[in-house]
Amino acid sequence: MNRWVVLVALALLAVAAGIAVGPAGFGIGDAFAGLLGHGDHAAVAIVRDLRVPRVLLAFLVGGSLAVTGAVLQALVRNPLADPYLLGLSGGAGLGAVAAIAAGVSSAWGVPALAAVGAIAAILLVYRLAVVADAVLDTRVLLLGGVVVGSFAAALVGAILALSPAEGLRSAMLWLLGGFDGASWHALGVFTVYAILPLALLYRDRRLLDLLSLGEEPARFLGADVEPLKRRLYLAASLLTAAAVAVSGIIGFVGLVVPHAIRVLWGSTHAKLLPSAFLLGGALLAAADAVARTAFAPLSLPVGVVTAVLGVPVFAVLVRRWAI
Amino acid sequence: MSFPGSAARRLAVALLVWSACAPASPPRAGVATRVVSLSPAFTELLFAIGAGSRVVGRTRWCDYPPAALDVPSVGDGLAPNVEAVAARNPDLVVLYAASANATAEARFADLGIPTVTLTMDRLADVPAAARRLGALTGQDARADSLAAWFAAEVDSARRHVSPAPRRRLLLLTWDQPPVVIGAGSFQHELVSLAGATNVFADLPEPSAQVTIETIAARDPDFVLLMTGGREPDWAERPEWRAVRAVRERRFIRVEGTAFARPSLRALDAVRTLRAALVGEP
Repeated sequence: MNRWVVLVALALLAVAAGIAVGPAGFGIGDAFAGLLGHGDHAAVAIVRDLRVPRVLLAFLVGGSLAVTGAVLQALVRNPLADPYLLGLSGGAGLGAVAAIAAGVSSAWGVPALAAVGAIAAILLVYRLAVVADAVLDTRVLLLGGVVVGSFAAALVGAILALSPAEGLRSAMLWLLGGFDGASWHALGVFTVYAILPLALLYRDRRLLDLLSLGEEPARFLGADVEPLKRRLYLAASLLTAAAVAVSGIIGFVGLVVPHAIRVLWGSTHAKLLPSAFLLGGALLAAADAVARTAFAPLSLPVGVVTAVLGVPVFAVLVRRWAI
Repeated sequence: MSFPGSAARRLAVALLVWSACAPASPPRAGVATRVVSLSPAFTELLFAIGAGSRVVGRTRWCDYPPAALDVPSVGDGLAPNVEAVAARNPDLVVLYAASANATAEARFADLGIPTVTLTMDRLADVPAAARRLGALTGQDARADSLAAWFAAEVDSARRHVSPAPRRRLLLLTWDQPPVVIGAGSFQHELVSLAGATNVFADLPEPSAQVTIETIAARDPDFVLLMTGGREPDWAERPEWRAVRAVRERRFIRVEGTAFARPSLRALDAVRTLRAALVGEP
């Protein structure tokens, strides 16, 4: 069977399931009636204003994280690379925790400061990795990312230790990630923001194939390696920073989805990037549906669900096909 | 809507005033004279039972009664700084029962400093803790009479909750992700005693993370904000507009430390809450 058909079907199924189920406890029929504007007012509001934007945002963020992971793995040629590895999660966490500790209470204050923290970390790591003659050293990029991330994590620890206990738990919950802030507004902002970096990354799909062979071979094969690396790094990082702003830090999707696609379908980026987008989106939309409903009315952090669902599948893949 | 037992209330106020002003009874042998209290609720209780003059250390969150602010702070009460506590040379450390305090409890034992670990989550814990602290500080008589008065007041309030249709309240402690108060919290009890219903009464936990969808489906009449202040900023966020009470700006605001911890002042908090509920359409 055509793999594209399977992936698109999976994606549609995940989105439909995400709209159909939820803790409000009305049936699938009522959910789709609500989607069409029929049924009682409360159900219509829940489906149209909460579920649909939430599912679509989860899909878009999942897809973006998977694409970012695929690109960063090719850029640093390290299978452990994921969107948060390069200091981003630390920077975003520092921004968010500082905002909560400082009592920033405006509606968009915490996500905005998380994005500021992430971008500061990106620029710092970038600055560390740019050596003589504007050459981006990808080994330093990795090391710098880990070091900046640890530094930010230490500052987060200090703030948490010194600030009131109540906000502390809230900061930790925010960091664990989730789509409680999803709305049509957030979806619109993220969509507009994500299109450009996603398009830039897709435009470089053939150069990414060359780059994954190594910088020297890529250069011999005609790629202008230095500007390419800078472009890839900044586009991928800014995309992740936006994902952090709308959903906190959601692990696993960006690390594992690209590997799963490579194992099942090969590593040509022309196929890898769009298929990772679809699979990452489907995985995160489905995981969010589970997070909302499995223990309703309680809800789980979505990153817990992505890992619990994804790790066993990934373990099987690793056993069957060497990565 | 008058509150039952106003004579008992006057007596209690008199008792509280008396115990705050009267000098503590002279210490007996074997009772604690240098107490470090590692929770605002215990500090408040120690002062109420007349053992305030024996408190030689408090947490940085202990702000009631105002006299407590004159006691030196030892920092945080959860996972306390053992050295700072030991430096106050206490003969009793009062710890809140939490796993975060287990290490500190063991260190105090190593240092030969007596400790008492008490639960303080529900209103029923208040008289129990009062009696225990009374026994440990030699203030048994005052502690026992306050405990008996409080238990009777709570009982009477429970019996006199009006059977009229109850307003359904959302008790929200955090907005993103939404964290709500469940039946395991004294704040849930305050709401019940005030004659209202907590829409998350089915959750046994003191607090839990839920989704906005669940809140919208439970459709509370009001959002209860226990930190006072102005209208919350999160109410401006579009996703919260799916909740009718938020959309219609149906907020009830109360404030004061009586809403922040279980204490002998719980019934004052209940009265405040009742008054706030009566004022709403």
